[in-house]
Amino acid sequence: MDAVTYPTESVVEFIAANVVPVRIPSDTEPLATEFRIKWTPTLIVLDWNGKEHSRTVGFMTPEELIPSILLGIAKTYYELDMFNEALADLDKVIEDYPQSDAAPEAIFYRGVCGYKSTHDPKPLKQAYEKLQAAYPQSEWAKRALPYRLLP
Amino acid sequence: MGAMIRWETDLDAAVSKARAANKPILLDFFHPG
Repeated sequence: MDAVTYPTESVVEFIAANVVPVRIPSDTEPLATEFRIKWTPTLIVLDWNGKEHSRTVGFMTPEELIPSILLGIAKTYYELDMFNEALADLDKVIEDYPQSDAAPEAIFYRGVCGYKSTHDPKPLKQAYEKLQAAYPQSEWAKRALPYRLLP
Repeated sequence: MGAMIRWETDLDAAVSKARAANKPILLDFFHPG
């Protein structure tokens, strides 16, 4: 991460604009135990009260890191019932990083957020249809399978 | 030398900064080497 991903200009700019970054050595106690750290790098997205909402383990390229963090931010808003903010960041992942590993999961959560914010099942079915069309082999296409039965 | 990420090194300080900025936190646990 230090050699390739973190020095990349787009990563530096994205992190400065979107999150407060903090680095902790993995042997720092009690944090390593509190966060159950077993391998590095472990990247965790926390809300502004320090509560965890998303984590990844392992190296990521610059092309994968930015959409991965964006998805983590979106999941933070989603879990705090801030659906409009979540939808805005999910749309960025879907539209700006369609080739990333985060994109299929973003489509799934876009459907869920759309449903939870409107109680209209259409976004769930749209998520299923988009996943089947664009990412049929992804695990998220499988998780959305029940939504094919929605009206 | 290009721009670099301005990492905080203390989680409590990062939480305070995040509250003030209304931003999430990216917490990186790294191998100290």
